[in-house]
Amino acid sequence: QFLPSDPPPPRRPLNFAESHESDEEKQFRRVFKQLAGDDMEVSPNELMNILNKIISKNSQLKTDGFSIESCRSMVAVMDSDSTGKLGFHEFKYLWNNIKRWQGVYVKHDADRSGVISRRELPEVFKAAGFPLDEQLLQLIARRYSDEDSNMDFDNFIGCLVRLDAMCRAFKTLDKDNSGSIDLDVKEWLQLTMYS
Amino acid sequence: MSGVASTLAKQRALAAGFGTNANAVRYLNQDFGSLRDKCRSAGRLFCDPTFAAAPEALGFKELGPSSPKTRGVTWKRPTELVSNPEFIVGGATRTDICQGALGDCWLLAAIASLTLNEYVMARVVPTDQGFGNDYAGIFHFQFWQYGEWVDVVIDDRLPVKDGELMFVHSAEGREFWSALLEKAYAKMNGCYEALSGGSTTEGFEDFTGGIAENYDLQRPPSNLFQIIKKSLEAGALLGCSIDITSAADSEAVTRQKLVKGHAYSLTGAVEVNYRGRQEKLVRMRNPWGQVEWTGAWSDGSSEWDSVQGDCPNANAEDGEFWMSYSDFLRNYSRIEVCTLTPDTIEDDSVKHWSVSKFDGTWRRGSTAGGCRNNPYTFWTNPQFVIKLEEEDDDPEDGEVGCSFVVGLIQKNRRKLRKQGEDMHTIGFAIYEVPQQFHGQREVHLDKNFFLSHAQTAKSETFINLREVTSRFKMPPGEYLIVPSTFEAHLNGDFCIRVFSEKQSETQPCDDPVEAELEDETVSDEEVDAGFRGLFSKLAGDDMEISAVELKTIMNKIVCKRTDIKTDGFSMETCRVMVNLMDDSGNGKLGLGEFATLWKKVQRYLSIYKKNDSDNSGTMSTPEMRVAFKDAGFSLNNTIYQQLVARYSDPDMTIDFDNFVGCLMRLEMMFKIFKKLDATNSGSIELDFNQWINFAMI
Repeated sequence: QFLPSDPPPPRRPLNFAESHESDEEKQFRRVFKQLAGDDMEVSPNELMNILNKIISKNSQLKTDGFSIESCRSMVAVMDSDSTGKLGFHEFKYLWNNIKRWQGVYVKHDADRSGVISRRELPEVFKAAGFPLDEQLLQLIARRYSDEDSNMDFDNFIGCLVRLDAMCRAFKTLDKDNSGSIDLDVKEWLQLTMYS
Repeated sequence: MSGVASTLAKQRALAAGFGTNANAVRYLNQDFGSLRDKCRSAGRLFCDPTFAAAPEALGFKELGPSSPKTRGVTWKRPTELVSNPEFIVGGATRTDICQGALGDCWLLAAIASLTLNEYVMARVVPTDQGFGNDYAGIFHFQFWQYGEWVDVVIDDRLPVKDGELMFVHSAEGREFWSALLEKAYAKMNGCYEALSGGSTTEGFEDFTGGIAENYDLQRPPSNLFQIIKKSLEAGALLGCSIDITSAADSEAVTRQKLVKGHAYSLTGAVEVNYRGRQEKLVRMRNPWGQVEWTGAWSDGSSEWDSVQGDCPNANAEDGEFWMSYSDFLRNYSRIEVCTLTPDTIEDDSVKHWSVSKFDGTWRRGSTAGGCRNNPYTFWTNPQFVIKLEEEDDDPEDGEVGCSFVVGLIQKNRRKLRKQGEDMHTIGFAIYEVPQQFHGQREVHLDKNFFLSHAQTAKSETFINLREVTSRFKMPPGEYLIVPSTFEAHLNGDFCIRVFSEKQSETQPCDDPVEAELEDETVSDEEVDAGFRGLFSKLAGDDMEISAVELKTIMNKIVCKRTDIKTDGFSMETCRVMVNLMDDSGNGKLGLGEFATLWKKVQRYLSIYKKNDSDNSGTMSTPEMRVAFKDAGFSLNNTIYQQLVARYSDPDMTIDFDNFVGCLMRLEMMFKIFKKLDATNSGSIELDFNQWINFAMI
């Protein structure tokens, strides 16, 4: 019933990728090069700086800023080779999702408070592609909302990045679509600790 | 992209046989069978969208779009070039391969050697294709890439200049398997120009999955002729070349018509009876299909008249010629021998070597320990153990022992990077495993072992090549192989292979993943009066501690201490701690829950202090592995790598708040697993809802 975003297409050889990019992608690659530095990879610290720079310019979003802890977690759930950094493709994927979810956030902040209240929570997650049952909503509110049950923008994004990644993880491992996955203790720890 | 799950899914697929030659990984997800069916039913010829017949498929520099070499290039299908093209005529032969305008003689020499072994050939060049009834302009080939077989699909549009194929072509012009094979290999490497300049070794390994060794002919082993003969009999592929001293020397032709800086295949080795004595001869082949040696034993030379008995003479101007073994050693600089894996050799009469292969990773701060020059981190490298039981048969050099070859390949960590940018300097060390560790595989030998034991052998050198290979002969026993980069803290992926003449057993050596969990739960009643008083002061009116309150408390405590470093507990860490400890499920901690948490933090603090060996207030990441052990957690390389990537700071230290956050989570995840695995089966089954509930904690 959940709609995690589509996985990106398989990687192409560099010369193919570069020669077939749209102008928007070329632009994005240029920006990425500036952000990521020489190693062309984004560390949690770099991610935090990028995200905080962007949200500070947007008055519709209430936030106390992305913490390093939540950026580490976002990198971890997307990183498949345990380097602790994101490459161009991973970052682009993350970026597109954040843009999309930002739109959802603003649209569903009905009272223009800048935060998502507990009442607005079901609708906003549904609109983002995740119709959650009450039990999950409760868990998520406890984990990502503040004491007044309001979820600010950085927590909202942190939560969705994780939710999206974990849904995709399940789909990836449930190869035969049986609705359940088997894990040994090593796999279990890899999935739950690196997140 | 899907994070750890995609890596796990890949490992599972490999374990189930995916990536073998019979079940190759589809390159760029293209499936030959279904694409061909689709084209045939649509009545059109295949045009490959992922490797377009366009300038960028040719190259970037010498073959770049603005280079005179590529001016006027058109792309034509074999059916447009000749009236009756064939895929293979009369089996693939060495003369099907003539070099074009590309410096990929190394590749062609490898392809030429390939044609000598029909079975090996059929694995690379599947026979289910051709220009017959099912022709749809689409072909496929299979290559070995860092431990797995990859199936590469192409369309058959080939670059043509002045009416001729630009690159590889067959001598007689209407046979196309070699040109198409070259195109598929170019696609996998990005473009044709990427194939320019390489070593035959790489081609050999990519076509066979075998292991290639290099011999310097200035200093050949005394039994090299036997090695060559035995290798040819065992179906190995052999390539030779003459070194150049300057770039101008490349493809310079010597007085006796040998080409320098050019790759030849060695295709035969015999001893003939010449004037009453045994003369050793080798057969060489120039991939150009012409330009042959003119010295002794060349085509039609007088030496052949004085041979008694069997005489393997050949006279055609086909690039192939004989020369004496001594002339061979004098003229050539190096030989490359590619030993095949047992699955490559169909013939039962051939002596099989046994082979094992493992993938591994070096990660900064956790398992990238560097070479032995780094005594404090060397032990953190991945470790493998090989058990040699049986000595070789009839050793030619009179020395008894067990022969084995170790090959360490570094994989392209990021395919998108330009080639060569991330070649590390790599090598390996070999240690004798002491008696007390024999038979144990669930152990990662620690720093003390390496400080107190000398290495038994090592790779010839640490070098920045794709692969380092060395041959050893050692008495039966158990040996530990430690592959590493030269410098510590470099990220890299590798594949290590061990080939042995006799049966042997190679396995990764790593700590088991397990936890000794003590029940630390403190009930409300057990809490003493002092703590109770403290709690009521901290908790406020509701007598519960929220994440915000926890954060305040924790940070008040740690900021008073000068002996531990921390940038403070973050809101996230505190929320996770509350969620983990919160048995009642109300999102806050009661008296007992908080007392339990407090006890844990105290215990972690003492472990943290104990393992901060230099009293810096932080723990370096190699110390972290030991500290986890002290805390009761045994973890393998993979998980340890992840914890370092997730919780350590960029300077490879972990501060106190991260240490606590990590251990709390680790403990909880072990507990959840044990609870779900009620029967101790070692495996748990989760439906989607269960999974998301745990995964969102």
